[in-house]
Amino acid sequence: MALAGAYKLFDQENDVVKNIKATISSGIWSSGANTLTAGMYFTQSAQSSSTGNYFFDVYKTSPATDSEAEIQFSLAYGHLHGSGSKGTVGAATGNRASAAIHAQLVNLVLPPNTDRFTYANSTTSKHFFVVSLKRARMREKMDPGNWELHLSGSSKKAGDNIRLIDDSNSTTNPESGIGGRVFNVVTGSISTGTSVIETAASSNPGGGFGLFYPDLGLIVLNADIVNASASFAVNSTSNTINTNTENFFKSVKGGAYFQARREEKLSSTHYFVRAGNKEFNFSNNPTFFTASTGDFTQPTFFKDPKVYLTTVGLYNDSNELLAVAKLSQPVLKSYSREALIKVKLDF
Amino acid sequence: MGFLNNTTITVDAILTKRGRELLARGNNEFQVTKFALADDEVDYRLWDTSHPNGTNFYGAVIENMPLLEPVPDETQALKYKLISLPKETSRLPILDIAVPSLTFQQGGGNGDLVSPGTLNSTDADLGYTFLVHDTNVARLQVGQAAPGQTAPLVPVNLSSEEITNSQSVVGLTARVLPQTFTTPNKKTTQLTIVGNQTGATSTITVTVNKTVLGSPGSGGSS
Repeated sequence: MALAGAYKLFDQENDVVKNIKATISSGIWSSGANTLTAGMYFTQSAQSSSTGNYFFDVYKTSPATDSEAEIQFSLAYGHLHGSGSKGTVGAATGNRASAAIHAQLVNLVLPPNTDRFTYANSTTSKHFFVVSLKRARMREKMDPGNWELHLSGSSKKAGDNIRLIDDSNSTTNPESGIGGRVFNVVTGSISTGTSVIETAASSNPGGGFGLFYPDLGLIVLNADIVNASASFAVNSTSNTINTNTENFFKSVKGGAYFQARREEKLSSTHYFVRAGNKEFNFSNNPTFFTASTGDFTQPTFFKDPKVYLTTVGLYNDSNELLAVAKLSQPVLKSYSREALIKVKLDF
Repeated sequence: MGFLNNTTITVDAILTKRGRELLARGNNEFQVTKFALADDEVDYRLWDTSHPNGTNFYGAVIENMPLLEPVPDETQALKYKLISLPKETSRLPILDIAVPSLTFQQGGGNGDLVSPGTLNSTDADLGYTFLVHDTNVARLQVGQAAPGQTAPLVPVNLSSEEITNSQSVVGLTARVLPQTFTTPNKKTTQLTIVGNQTGATSTITVTVNKTVLGSPGSGGSS
């Protein structure tokens, strides 16, 4: 009658299955929502005086009234020469915000000695708009083929927005570079459950709307094409206050539709907890026996004890509790019952 | 004819604070080698032998209760473990400790000898693990060694702070030695005793009163 009766060693060969990989996808926005619709696009006024020249954070709820409002994604405008923002080369004032954003993105996702993005049909552009997903929202990566963003513009009638998706469903061998996989941004919709491309990037004058980097959570839009399609007055004058990011936000807000999904790979270990019929049939629970004599509180438990499993603890050799799992309901255990519980531990 | 449900129960585990700490160290210290089962939350007084629907429903109240989610604090989980004992067991082993609590005056001589006994079973071979939770209050010394000496067990739930300040010894008896301190006027801690063979556990309170200068000091001793 040893205390070892409280612990049972795992048969590492048969009871433990390590490193099981599973791909999990879920809605990307706060609370697991997969779509941001009208009334779900907010910025914070305080940002305009600090980082607003560089980027706008977009919230699902108003940060002015909701203290738990979370940033969903950020919008920014980048220009090779810094146009559309204050400051010029050699000037003492102005931080050339759009040049900084452009250089930052180019450095991050393009090969060395490249100064601008190249879109389908080898089209290049000196400036872009970028949608950057908050890391906490996308966790590991955006799910290619499962996002759709609508943009409104001054040339668009209400309800006639530009609908953007990626072309991953028609790309069997995506290009992969410094920025990971990259797909073209094209017009189309995923509303039917699968990607329906309206105009392929190669058929689009100007080579598609942009590029999508799922592993980085970046959607880079060619500002020339966006401007030509939606006419939201991109300001590419040098040394001017950046209104482009604000206009881009207005376009996204006016589109009122951003559906997206995230994807992550989880590594799990499964522990098969086996309680044989002769094991774990008594309890240290103070309601199981009387403190004065040790008698069962239920006389019927003599020679036929019944206990309930509610909790499984995983221990190391030093009896340190490393992980704990709870059952959803108590499970009866007795000499006539065995229990097999699969405990899944995600890393 | 219905289908039999032969599915395995699948549950998700969460790491405890200790588990997370060992995993973060990255020295391959996170090694799960064994498991234990517990029935925390279950009150066996709800077992109803007068249920009108018969024996299958004696435990209906327990079986239908929803359970709380697991907590990452290892000191709050698996308080009451399920144990394996012979089927003929009629009484659970319990510890018999002569004194319900120990009170000392600071500097109280040789302290007190604690000599537990096990009712309904025996811990005579492997003895007991004595664990004092705060060595600033009292320390332990083995009184009589156990014939089959074992390393101290840590089966009780201690917080990280308590583990740092705790001391455990193994033996058939142990001497509790009060410690000296300047403030406050009284300190209290717990002494947990675990039967190394039976797993029976008992806890008593240890109190040490500060000796005020000019007053006669006295301490319990045996």
